[in-house]
Amino acid sequence: MRELTYVEATLEALDSAMARDPSIFVVGEGIGERGGNFNTTVGLYDKYGPERLCDTPISERGFVGMCAGAAMTGTRPVVDFMFLDFILDAFGELVNQIAKMQYMSSGRLKMPILLRGAIGIGHSAATHHSGSYYPIFAHIPGFRVVVPAIPSDAKGLFTTALQSDDPVLFLEHKSLLFNRGEVPEGDHAIPFGQARVAREGSDCTVVAIGSMVDKSVAVCDKLAEDGISAEVIDPRTIAPLDMATILESVSKTGRLLIVDETFQPCGVGAEIAAQVIDEGFDDLDAPIRRLNGAHVPTPYSPPLELAIVPESDDIGQSIRDLLAE
Amino acid sequence: MAYEVTMPRLGWTMEEGVFGEWLKQDGDEVQAGDLLFTVEGDKATQEVEVFESGILHLPSSAPTPGDVIPVGALLAFIVQAGESLPAESSLPLPMEEQERQASKASPTGTAEPAVPGNPATKTVAADGRGAPTISPRARRVAGELGVDWTRLSGSGRTGRIVERDVRAAAETIVEPVGVDISPVARRMAAEAGISLKELAATSPGGRIQREDVEAAIGARRQPVPADETAGQVLPHTRIRQITAQRMAESARTTAPVTLTTEADATELVALREQLKSSYAPRGLAVPSYNDTYIKLTAAALQEHPTLNSSWGDEGLILHKEIHIGFAVETERGLLAPVLRDVPAKSLRVIAAESASLIEGAQQERLNHEAMQGGTFTITNLGMYGIDAFTPIINLPQAAILGIGRIACKPAVHDGEVVPRQMVALSLTFDHRVVDGAPAARFLNTVREYIAEPILWLTA
Repeated sequence: MRELTYVEATLEALDSAMARDPSIFVVGEGIGERGGNFNTTVGLYDKYGPERLCDTPISERGFVGMCAGAAMTGTRPVVDFMFLDFILDAFGELVNQIAKMQYMSSGRLKMPILLRGAIGIGHSAATHHSGSYYPIFAHIPGFRVVVPAIPSDAKGLFTTALQSDDPVLFLEHKSLLFNRGEVPEGDHAIPFGQARVAREGSDCTVVAIGSMVDKSVAVCDKLAEDGISAEVIDPRTIAPLDMATILESVSKTGRLLIVDETFQPCGVGAEIAAQVIDEGFDDLDAPIRRLNGAHVPTPYSPPLELAIVPESDDIGQSIRDLLAE
Repeated sequence: MAYEVTMPRLGWTMEEGVFGEWLKQDGDEVQAGDLLFTVEGDKATQEVEVFESGILHLPSSAPTPGDVIPVGALLAFIVQAGESLPAESSLPLPMEEQERQASKASPTGTAEPAVPGNPATKTVAADGRGAPTISPRARRVAGELGVDWTRLSGSGRTGRIVERDVRAAAETIVEPVGVDISPVARRMAAEAGISLKELAATSPGGRIQREDVEAAIGARRQPVPADETAGQVLPHTRIRQITAQRMAESARTTAPVTLTTEADATELVALREQLKSSYAPRGLAVPSYNDTYIKLTAAALQEHPTLNSSWGDEGLILHKEIHIGFAVETERGLLAPVLRDVPAKSLRVIAAESASLIEGAQQERLNHEAMQGGTFTITNLGMYGIDAFTPIINLPQAAILGIGRIACKPAVHDGEVVPRQMVALSLTFDHRVVDGAPAARFLNTVREYIAEPILWLTA
């Protein structure tokens, strides 16, 4: 199968959807002629013109609110935040309007709005350009929260996001954007709420999110040399969260580690752990462990930045510790 | 996996029970719902049923009559054919025995745990305090494999018992010492419900082979005649024993008098036909004649509360509720499930409940409670062509109503001899409790109610 980068995979999905559906348009800073800071819209301006590739001023609240109105009138806006951190400037529009509009209108209005942006720590992007924040959005009823880890999932989930009548947060970790991988040609849609077993194993379950998936798989492949058989699960969507796959894996292995770059308190790992305790208590052979990025604002300093993100050695040690429990 | 038979909690406050007796023998094949053993409770001896089918394995430390056993303590195992027996060590001892052993400086080698435990965790109080910690999964697996985890030591970071410890212990669990048996022989023995211990006795020291099991099965099939003249002795079933004891006690202690009369059931027959044609197409349970008799009798008992009573040494006990037992013939014998609060229930509810009770009785899954607490009993022999008979009072009740067949007979109705559907009623009452006249008045009310059923079924 041919290979594409993660960004190329979403671009392909966006391009073919825009070709078919004239109601789709993209809004953001530098996404027009420039093709997006992360090449998310390269080539589309020439194809679809300035009306559908709409550059905006630096005013997140303004253009997010505008897109909410546009979505209510029946179009499908794609808001490209470049760095997702700045979605926070539109938080009121998102939580109070976009997430609630279908409910407030008794379902008369749809909210087919796709909100995308680069997340995560790396490249000394410092504290205003390194956020992820998906636990915050997964906390709010109404959002779909998508965190693909590999190029083929990026295409399949982006396709589904463009068809969703609910608001979708499509979050792309910066360290993954230029990873290459096999991507199916043509139509390729992956439903929300279906986790992917990235690696099969029997001794412990590692739920890894976003940038931690490939890293965990590589670590587990190495641990296999020592006879450790770890299963890696990529939930792919945080909301909805495929607990069935996680519970099934835990019932097999009895041990669970959640690896997530985002902050630990009130995070996705806490939610997964709580649900496993609720429904899989008798399957647990050890306490559930979480490995997260440090609960601090992201430092600029490259050595400090490296120190606050779970690295391969940390993951390997956490798995060994879990198996010793 | 070996299913654990434990001391049940028979009341909210029960902490321990006095073991009565085994109703099944070691190696018996048991079916879920069979009565397995008895426990002497505060008031009565309760028979306890087993919830799993398989072969009963009574370990050498199984309780004997009179042992005081804590609630939840392991009493025996139900194993499946071919399944290895759990370690002897996993059986708890009766409380006094536990205390005796705990006080010993060094335990004897007879019941050593399969996996040596940490001495600090070896003695576990009956209430579970002092037990080692165990992961939820390991606890679950221990239950499935029949491993007594309280005697294991854990390999987890904090000494916690984890799944691998339980599995390792399960692998080292062996049959009772000295039993060497071929796989085929083991399966045959399990299917025939012959214990390995029994077999071991027949070939001491040697490996038990298929022939040994066949011999044991053959030996078991030979009935042992009680004496030369007896052709065959059928051992008493538990129900037969209970029935015999209760009937004899009733005959010995009550002063039974039986009154008989005949009721005109023409309207009742018409009503039943109507119910059949209206209810059946709608998929509703059609009330049986017996259901209507139960409802009508309950109405009559409301009029005559002295018949809904029991003899007490201190005085007559009038029952507030009307719970009517009805006799059901089953393959195992006579059972009398009880319909509760009959006056409060519609005929349709009674029909549904009685159908379920009859089915439960015939499938041997009625519990003790379902046959307890009746205040009056109805027994119907109509389907066998019987008219009047003399039922025996079901103690501690005061009376029992026997119902005969419904037969079309010439009868005087509105001054003319016409064919009418007639049913014989037989009331046996305890003359200690109630006199003839009030009993007769009650029976007369039943007769009237049967004659005009609509009035009293809808009351």
